[in-house]
Amino acid sequence: MLKNGFIAVAIIVSALLLHKAAFAAEVVELPKEELAQESVLPVFDKPVSVKNRNVTTAGRWDMDVFYGYAMTEPIANVSKFGIGIYYNTSENHAFGLFFANNASGLSDYARQIERTPATPLDLSKAPMPKNTIMGDYNLKAFYGKMSVTKSLVLNTVLFGSGSVGVVQYEHKTYPAVAIGLGQKFYFNRNWAMRFDMRLYANQGPVPFLAGSKMHNGTARPSYSEFSERVLFSTNLDIGLSYLF
Amino acid sequence: MKKILLLLIATSFAAPGISLAQRQNNKARPALRKAAPATASRSSNTRVATLKNQLSDALRMAQSGQYDSAANNLFSLSRRPELANERPQVKYILGTMLIELKLYQTAAFQFVDVIRSNHPKYAKLAIEKLSVVADALGDDTILNYAISRVDLNDFPANLKDMIHYRLGEIKLRNRDFSGAAALFSRVSFGSSTYYQALFNKGLAELEANQTSLAVGTFNKMLDARRRAPVTDTNKVAAQMGLARALYQKQDWEAAIEAYAQVPRDTLMWHDAVFESSWAMLRAARFRSALSNFQTLHSAYYEDFYMPESLLLRSIVYLYICKYDEMEKVLSLFEKTYGPVRRKIGDFLKSTNEAGAYYTEVERAHVLKTTDRNANLRLPYIVVRNILDQGDVKRAMTYIEKLNNEKNRIESNSAFRSSPLGQYAMKIISNRSRNAKFAVGDMAKAHLQNMRVELRDLYEQAGFIRYEMITGRKDSIKKKIAGKDIATEQIDDKIDRQFYIQNGYEYYPFQGEFWLDEVGNYHYLGKQSCE
Repeated sequence: MLKNGFIAVAIIVSALLLHKAAFAAEVVELPKEELAQESVLPVFDKPVSVKNRNVTTAGRWDMDVFYGYAMTEPIANVSKFGIGIYYNTSENHAFGLFFANNASGLSDYARQIERTPATPLDLSKAPMPKNTIMGDYNLKAFYGKMSVTKSLVLNTVLFGSGSVGVVQYEHKTYPAVAIGLGQKFYFNRNWAMRFDMRLYANQGPVPFLAGSKMHNGTARPSYSEFSERVLFSTNLDIGLSYLF
Repeated sequence: MKKILLLLIATSFAAPGISLAQRQNNKARPALRKAAPATASRSSNTRVATLKNQLSDALRMAQSGQYDSAANNLFSLSRRPELANERPQVKYILGTMLIELKLYQTAAFQFVDVIRSNHPKYAKLAIEKLSVVADALGDDTILNYAISRVDLNDFPANLKDMIHYRLGEIKLRNRDFSGAAALFSRVSFGSSTYYQALFNKGLAELEANQTSLAVGTFNKMLDARRRAPVTDTNKVAAQMGLARALYQKQDWEAAIEAYAQVPRDTLMWHDAVFESSWAMLRAARFRSALSNFQTLHSAYYEDFYMPESLLLRSIVYLYICKYDEMEKVLSLFEKTYGPVRRKIGDFLKSTNEAGAYYTEVERAHVLKTTDRNANLRLPYIVVRNILDQGDVKRAMTYIEKLNNEKNRIESNSAFRSSPLGQYAMKIISNRSRNAKFAVGDMAKAHLQNMRVELRDLYEQAGFIRYEMITGRKDSIKKKIAGKDIATEQIDDKIDRQFYIQNGYEYYPFQGEFWLDEVGNYHYLGKQSCE
């Protein structure tokens, strides 16, 4: 007891004597030898890449609203707006459902084609996609973080996605599948910006007909006249996600 | 190895052959004198002839590499009363057969029997073999037994290094530091124990407070391992030894520099970070010390028993008048180690059997090395700390070697059911049980030490808390008088670009710990003293 008391008193007295000199000697800039010199990782019994995560998703729901841009769509309007809901079964897996409603009309590219004097087409006669509803699985492969400013850091989640569902056209509903890659940037423990790049493959109508049936001024052809095949399109979705 | 073995067996059997012949002659003479019991003499001759045949068979089997059959035959021959005089030879050869079968513990028992027989030739040879076997097993009991009977002059030169090293270890344990250092010095370069001897020599010199000598020894070791890989155990141990020697020499800056050279991807790095914090404190580099604590008190260290580091952190905060932080750290110390102290006390009060202590250690070992769960009565940080103690580690390695030996026997069902197999299983089982009890006793001793240590640290925490309250009172007075210092960081005026341009990242800490950041945290606060 007495010994410990002496030790404590000795430490405290030297503290009082030293503290001014200590900080007088302190340089404002970090000493270079104290900055990271090694790229190797410390050894632990069971190493994990992160502890005490800022964003924990396991057992939680998240909800998204997004704008979708069909990057390779030639005829139909490239924009869509959607909503999604996901349940995170663990830090690695999430299952959900998303619904997207396509904007009506034609794409800019289709309008350019229509404006060309040599091609008097009315592409709006083709059947257009209206809605998409898909069941989606997300494999959250990497959790990370990104320093943005001196006082701001964003957590990130990189995930792969696989979806199965349907694409509804004006006249018919077709099966669809999609695979993709996504990234979430968390502003805080709940709010995130979500980016999804998906490659869709769905059965659908080819928006062209041989002859003059698509020309301006002719009667609208029947939807059954359009042949069907597997269509591929690449979509970029940008949205906001809230983790409950 | 096989050639050496054959030579050994051949030379060993020359003696039994003569001996058996002499016995035959000795027995024949009275038979001539007393012509009457001719039948008995014939029967004896037949028995001896049969035994000779069995020995020859065993020799042939050994020559053809059938060590298990040879060992079994030798084992049954070693129990024959007719061969009482030849028993040391037979047992010695049996021991060498068992070494070939990698049954070191069973072999050790044969050599102990031979040593006890005091046979003029085989007892010395057996001591040599026993030393080698005990060294391989890492069994202190057998090793001490062998070494206590060693006459270094009788030992072949190639084993002298090992004996010097082991004798040095014994002297070090008995706190004869100069004697230990002298023995470690005699281990020659090129010996398998050279670097361990050099390290232990430095350790003995440190214990004897000969810090300059120790610095020289560790530098010599480092120089000898200059070309070894960065994470080479001997090289890292030498670096750590050097840092500790410099600390003991009170050369704080040099110690900090030496600790910083310990590679991050080695187990010793964790100790280096903690110990360098002490050196930083002594060198009045408080900000640097606090940077280390950010690492040491991260979630990665939740399984580490480091009560002292929390008190050290609170002392550093006291130095820089950060009383709120100090309060948090002291509370964390009490919250973490209060239950630990209580549970250690309860366990020591309620448990006496060494077996129960071993069970805790074994469960913690499972938790540490596998993904399986195990229920512990003691906090994991406590038993994990015990597992990391040198004596426990060594005893656990010995138990593991016994398990390997047991598995080796069980994998050969024919050998397992033979008399030698059963005998070996019995030996291993007994040794294993005793070793487990020994580990239990070690664990109990460590627990008692931890209880005492925690009691002392709690007292110190009380003193530190008292100083904190006094300091806080003064701080409030200054605040009222308008003399307090505004909160700011040391790099407030440095742009983030400064770090990026120098190839470094700047991450504001938000409570999340990343493996690649451990060791790279920097405390940026300033002192709050007037």
